[in-house]
Amino acid sequence: MSQIVVRELSKTFRVPERAGGLRAALRSLIRRTYREVRAVDRVSFSVAPGEIVGFLGPNGAGKTTTLKMLAGLLHPTSGEVSVLGYTPWRRQADYLQRISMLMGQRTQLAWDLPAIDSFEVHAAVYRLRQDACRNTLDELVALLDIGDVLRKPVRQLSLGERMKCELCAALLHRPAVLFLDEPTIGVDITMQARIRQFIAEYNARFGATIILTSHYMADVTALCRRIILIDHGKIVFDGPLASLSARLAPFKVIVIDLTRDVDGFDFAALGDVLAREGRKVTLRVPKDAAASVTGRLLADLPVLDLTIEDPPIEDVIERVYASTRSAATAESAT
Amino acid sequence: MKHVLSALPAFLRVAIANMIQYRAEIALWAAWGVVSPAVMMALWNAAAHASSDPGRIGHRSAGEISAYFFMTMIVGHITAAWDVYEMGWLVRSGRLSASLLRPILPVWASLADNIAYKLVTLVILVPIWALIAWAVRPTFHTSAHDACLALAALPLASGLSFVWGYVVGTLAFFVTKMDAASELFFGASMFFGGRIAPIDLLPAPLQWVAQATPFQWIFAYPCELLAGQLDPSRATRGLVWQVAWLIAGIVAFRVMWSRGVRRYSAVGA
Repeated sequence: MSQIVVRELSKTFRVPERAGGLRAALRSLIRRTYREVRAVDRVSFSVAPGEIVGFLGPNGAGKTTTLKMLAGLLHPTSGEVSVLGYTPWRRQADYLQRISMLMGQRTQLAWDLPAIDSFEVHAAVYRLRQDACRNTLDELVALLDIGDVLRKPVRQLSLGERMKCELCAALLHRPAVLFLDEPTIGVDITMQARIRQFIAEYNARFGATIILTSHYMADVTALCRRIILIDHGKIVFDGPLASLSARLAPFKVIVIDLTRDVDGFDFAALGDVLAREGRKVTLRVPKDAAASVTGRLLADLPVLDLTIEDPPIEDVIERVYASTRSAATAESAT
Repeated sequence: MKHVLSALPAFLRVAIANMIQYRAEIALWAAWGVVSPAVMMALWNAAAHASSDPGRIGHRSAGEISAYFFMTMIVGHITAAWDVYEMGWLVRSGRLSASLLRPILPVWASLADNIAYKLVTLVILVPIWALIAWAVRPTFHTSAHDACLALAALPLASGLSFVWGYVVGTLAFFVTKMDAASELFFGASMFFGGRIAPIDLLPAPLQWVAQATPFQWIFAYPCELLAGQLDPSRATRGLVWQVAWLIAGIVAFRVMWSRGVRRYSAVGA
């Protein structure tokens, strides 16, 4: 039984446009021209209770627009969505009571007041029982380690501290479904790791269903077993993260460190040379050939160290986008 | 409604805390609310003394003119509403999104802000009003009947101002920039509300226009009522008009809001 079901969801924006210059500006006074931008194009997927799904795509791919429709902020142009049995854009109070959306670039906290004041409003808006709210707040404050910053005005918090307070506010009513849009944007690596750890703990403890968008692959690899890739409003991959590499990147990356310089060895005959810095060489070889190439390298070269890795997930995703774009170009050409 | 009853006191507490944080700015805004009526009062008093019937303008004496404009200070404060400006910014910047994610209409938080401002600034305004009343000696003819009606007329005027400001504010969902519309609304409310001149002193065509807008029921009617310048039947009829305009405003708000939210594009947020 899925908790989120999305069928043929589309969103088209009508955007005014004109050429540059005064003449075009004057012409637009009389006749305004518009362009239809299909931000989300017949997207379908479902998410099971307790699942964490990474929703990835380049800027303008349609991921945030999709999340906004799921959270009820945007009305779709067409399609159906059911989240917890509700149609989000009807914006029923019972639905909004059970979800939360955290937007990394937007604050939900009162800027000039201590975060604790915003939590108080939050508790009242969501009609949380005082004792239950106190327990949840204590728990979240401990997990996020924000005891020292609760009483400082939000405007004086560092970005990392503010993000943790935003998370606390977003989770105070213990939402069953959580939409996280770039939750770690702009925060340092240590803080990113803590926020990731917290999201994983929240999911494990309360069984919340989470859809996450992020530009940081570390967020996705740490939290999501399943990813949905979206590009130009269309889903180009939906499946386990592990199978993405297996299916779409049948390569291994071999990194070797040599004990001395070798001249005349033809690395390019074994695979693509991705980098060569001094005595360190990085090769990309077909997965099937990884064993034989490794054997050859060890036999023929003075190897100090050798590692075999999967290609970085960013590279794999980029390959997915590149292949979809070339397919689309070929289709439009015929 | 359960959400509203639970949230309003918390909204109000936080709004008051916020106002206190910005006390200097809030004090200046409140003081500004006194300046415009004081200028109008001085101008119309000068005009009365220079008129062909010295000390009178129309059917009002100089003291009655002072009473009318003195009341515009108080009624102007009670009916102050700024959502027509605020909504444009909230929609355009996408900042409305955070409020839309809550299980309560954003209008309730705005209402709490509105009430908080009026309560906090009373500390500054009451002494200023007292000082002005002592200085200009306005002439009041307020009866007990007028005072009783005012108990209902003032909250209704405040509600009317808030609701119609919000109705116009929801135009922000339909247009890219609201600044000009907000200024037009504000200008119309000054003119047709009787804040520049009592409505009976406007040329006849403008009086007809004023009759067709809610502004006179927001400003001129409660001012005249509190100054004791209305006959009893007109005083009572005004209350009916206020209720009618308030119902119309609430209906208009519901229609505009539900249509507007459908068009909301949550830009940048």
